[in-house]
Amino acid sequence: MPNKNGNAYGLTTLCPLSNDSQRDESSAAIIRSRLRALDVDENSPMAKVPNTYMCRLFVLDDVFYEGHPAHSEQLKSKYLVFVADIHGELRPFLQGMWQHAQSMIEQIWEYCIGFKQVHSGSDFVNYIEKCQVPTTFYFNGSTDEPLAEQLKALYVKQELSKFAYANQGQDAAALQRAFKEFMVRVAPTNLAAPTWRAGASDPARATTGARS
Amino acid sequence: MSTTLVDLHDVQGNIIKAYGRYGFPLGRYILFGVTQRERARAFVSALTPSITTSAPWRNGGSLADGSAIPDVTTNIAFTYHGLRDLGVPRASLQSFPDEFAMGMRARRDILGDDGASAPEHWDPVWKADEPPHVLIWINGRDAACLERRYREILALAAESQGGVQLLVGHRGSGGKDDLPYQEASAIYANGEPTSKEHFGYTDGISNPYFKGSGEHESNVVGGGKVTLLPADTRAGWEPLETGEFLLGYKDEALECPEAPIPKLLSHNGTFLVYRKLHENVRSFDDYIAHVGREYPGGPEALAAKFAGRWRNGAPLAKFPTEREANEFAVGWADAKAAITRAKSRSEREAAKRHFAELNMQFVAFDYNRDLEGARCPVGAHARRANPRSGLEFGQTLAFETPGAISNRRRIIRRGLPYGDSSQRADSGDHGIIFMALGASIRRQFEFIQQQWMNYANDFKLGNDKDPLVGNHGQNESGAGDGRMAIASDPSDSRPPFFCSKLPRFVETRGGAYFFIPSLTALRMIGEGNIDPT
Repeated sequence: MPNKNGNAYGLTTLCPLSNDSQRDESSAAIIRSRLRALDVDENSPMAKVPNTYMCRLFVLDDVFYEGHPAHSEQLKSKYLVFVADIHGELRPFLQGMWQHAQSMIEQIWEYCIGFKQVHSGSDFVNYIEKCQVPTTFYFNGSTDEPLAEQLKALYVKQELSKFAYANQGQDAAALQRAFKEFMVRVAPTNLAAPTWRAGASDPARATTGARS
Repeated sequence: MSTTLVDLHDVQGNIIKAYGRYGFPLGRYILFGVTQRERARAFVSALTPSITTSAPWRNGGSLADGSAIPDVTTNIAFTYHGLRDLGVPRASLQSFPDEFAMGMRARRDILGDDGASAPEHWDPVWKADEPPHVLIWINGRDAACLERRYREILALAAESQGGVQLLVGHRGSGGKDDLPYQEASAIYANGEPTSKEHFGYTDGISNPYFKGSGEHESNVVGGGKVTLLPADTRAGWEPLETGEFLLGYKDEALECPEAPIPKLLSHNGTFLVYRKLHENVRSFDDYIAHVGREYPGGPEALAAKFAGRWRNGAPLAKFPTEREANEFAVGWADAKAAITRAKSRSEREAAKRHFAELNMQFVAFDYNRDLEGARCPVGAHARRANPRSGLEFGQTLAFETPGAISNRRRIIRRGLPYGDSSQRADSGDHGIIFMALGASIRRQFEFIQQQWMNYANDFKLGNDKDPLVGNHGQNESGAGDGRMAIASDPSDSRPPFFCSKLPRFVETRGGAYFFIPSLTALRMIGEGNIDPT
C-alpha cells in the first residue's frame, strides 16, 4: 500500500508553479530564493509543525534528458516539490502545518497554480491532496512512535551516554546517587521537557528545558 | 516536438540580446579582483538586482518587470580564479572544464598568441600572473547614463569595504596605460553609430539562432543550421539546439554537454571569451591599396575576398561583383528609408516586409554553388569562421546533417570596437573588444581559433591562416609571411591570384575566459550557498 508504513506516512506533493514572472524574475526563481532564505534546523518553520519527522521543499525545473536516443521532453511548468515523512494521518498533519506555519506556507506556495483559493487549513488540506502523488515503496527509517516520543528518546539516549562517561569508576553508592539525580533531571516520562529540540542537528544547541 | 522553454529572466541579457541592435552604441568593461571573500560576495549580491536579463524587450514595456529597454545594461562574469576566491566549493571548481580553469594566457599556444600577440605585450591589467576575477560590462545609450552606472558600480565596490578592488591598467589613447576601465564604442559616421569595425567592414551580421532564445523566428535564416533544402529559403534552415549556447540543455550531439555541478550553478549559464584585439589599420590599408592595384577586381574586391563580404556587408556568395553589391546597398538603404517615409500602417507594414526580405540577402546562403570559392574564397574570413555546409565539399549526405561539423562550432559574437583609428596608423589603441559566447570554449572558440583561423587543413588549404585575423609570422627580412589563394571562376581563363607577404593585421592585447552564471547561480554565488554534493 502506498504512502503508509506502520504509523508513518510518506507524503509526496508536486504543486505546479505559474510560468509568470514578477519584476523580471520568474515565479520559480522567486520561490527558489525564498526557499534558500528559510531558516534551518531548530529555527526552521517546519520544526514547529507537530509530528514532522523530516521534510524537504525544492523547485523541480524539468525532467532530466539522458541523451540520444532518449526523447528530450520538457514539463509544461516547474513544480514546487514538498515531501515529508510524518507520524499519523495526513489531514491532521496538514491542519497542524497550517496552524503553525501559515505565513511560511503563504510565502512558499504563493505562485503555485490554484493556491490563490487557499484561505484556511481545510483549503490547504484539499489543495495538497489534489497535488499529491502516491509514495510507492515507502519505508519509514525511524521508529513508529509520535515525534515527541522519538525526540525524548533521542534526548534520553544522549544524556545517558554522557552520564556513563561522567560516572565511570564511581563506587556503587555514589553511582546510584548520581543515577537517581539523573532520572529526576531527565524526567524520562515527561515528553514536554527536557527533550531534544525539534529540528536540531547540533547537540550543543539541541537540549531544551533541562535544569542544569 | 514542442518549443524549448527557457526561463529568459534567468539568463543574462547579452547572451540573447545583441545590445548594439537595441541602440546601445557605448560600452565599458570593468575588471575587479576579489580581496575579501564575504565582502566580495556582498558586492555580488548588491549588484545582482541591476543585472540585465534576456527577457524580451518591447515598446511600451515597463522597467519594473524588465520588459522596457533601459538606458544602460549591466552584466557580470567570473574567471575560474574569481569563482575560487568567492568561495565556490572545490568539488564545483573541479567540475569546470580544464581550459576554463587554465585561462586564456595558459592556452596561448593553442590560440596562437605569439609574437606581437604574446601576453608580455598585453595591456597591464591583463598581464598579471593571475587573471582578473570579475568582469562587469555595461552598455549605454549615451555617455551620461554609462558614466552614471559606472559610478553606481564603483559606489557598490566602495561599500564592500575592500571586498573587491577595481583593477586599473587598461591602455587607451595618447599612450595611457593605467585606465580604470576599457572604453568601447561603435564607430560613428555623420554623427550616427555604424556597425563597422576599424578596417571598414560591417561586423556582427550573422549570429546563431537557437531554440528557446525568444528571438524573432525569421532570424533562423542564416542564424540556424542548414537543412537539405535550399539555403535561400526559410525551409533551408532550422534552429540550433539550445545546448550549444546555454548549459543544461540538449546540444547538437543530442546530449547535455559537460557542465559544472551542481546543476543549478551551470543551468542557464554559459562561457565567455573576452579578447582585446588591436587592428593594424595602416598595414591593412597599405596592403589593400598596393596589392589591390594588381588584383583584377581592384582594392575593394580584394578587401571583399579577404572577408567573404563586401565592406557594406553584402556576401560574396550572393553578390560576386562590386556593382551588384553596391546596387544592393542602395536598394537596402532605400528600403530602410521607406519604412520611416510610409504614410499609412499598411504602407509601413509592406515597407517592413520588403526590408526584411532584403535583410535576408545578407545571410540566406551557403557555399554549395561555390565549392571552388570562385565567388567567396574558401579561405575568406567569414567562410572559415562559419563554413555552413561547406565542409561537405559538395558531397551531399556526407554527414547526417549538412552542417554537422560547423553546427558544433558556432559562437555568439558580442562586443564593440574601441579607440580612434582616424589617423590610420598601426600604433595607437584601436581595435575590437571581441566576445565569443558558447557552451564549450574548447570545442567552439578554441577550435575555430586554432584550426580554422590559424590553420586550414579542414579547408584543404594546408597551413594557410585567415588573411584578416591569422597570426601571420615574419620572414627573414621582417615582412609578413601570410598567404592566401584567391580562386578565379573555373569558366574564366584567368589564373588564381596569390596574395603573399600578408602581415599580421590583428594582434591580441589581452583577455580571459569567463563564466556567465544565470541569475539563480549569481544569487547562489553571492550567498555562498552552493552545494555540489
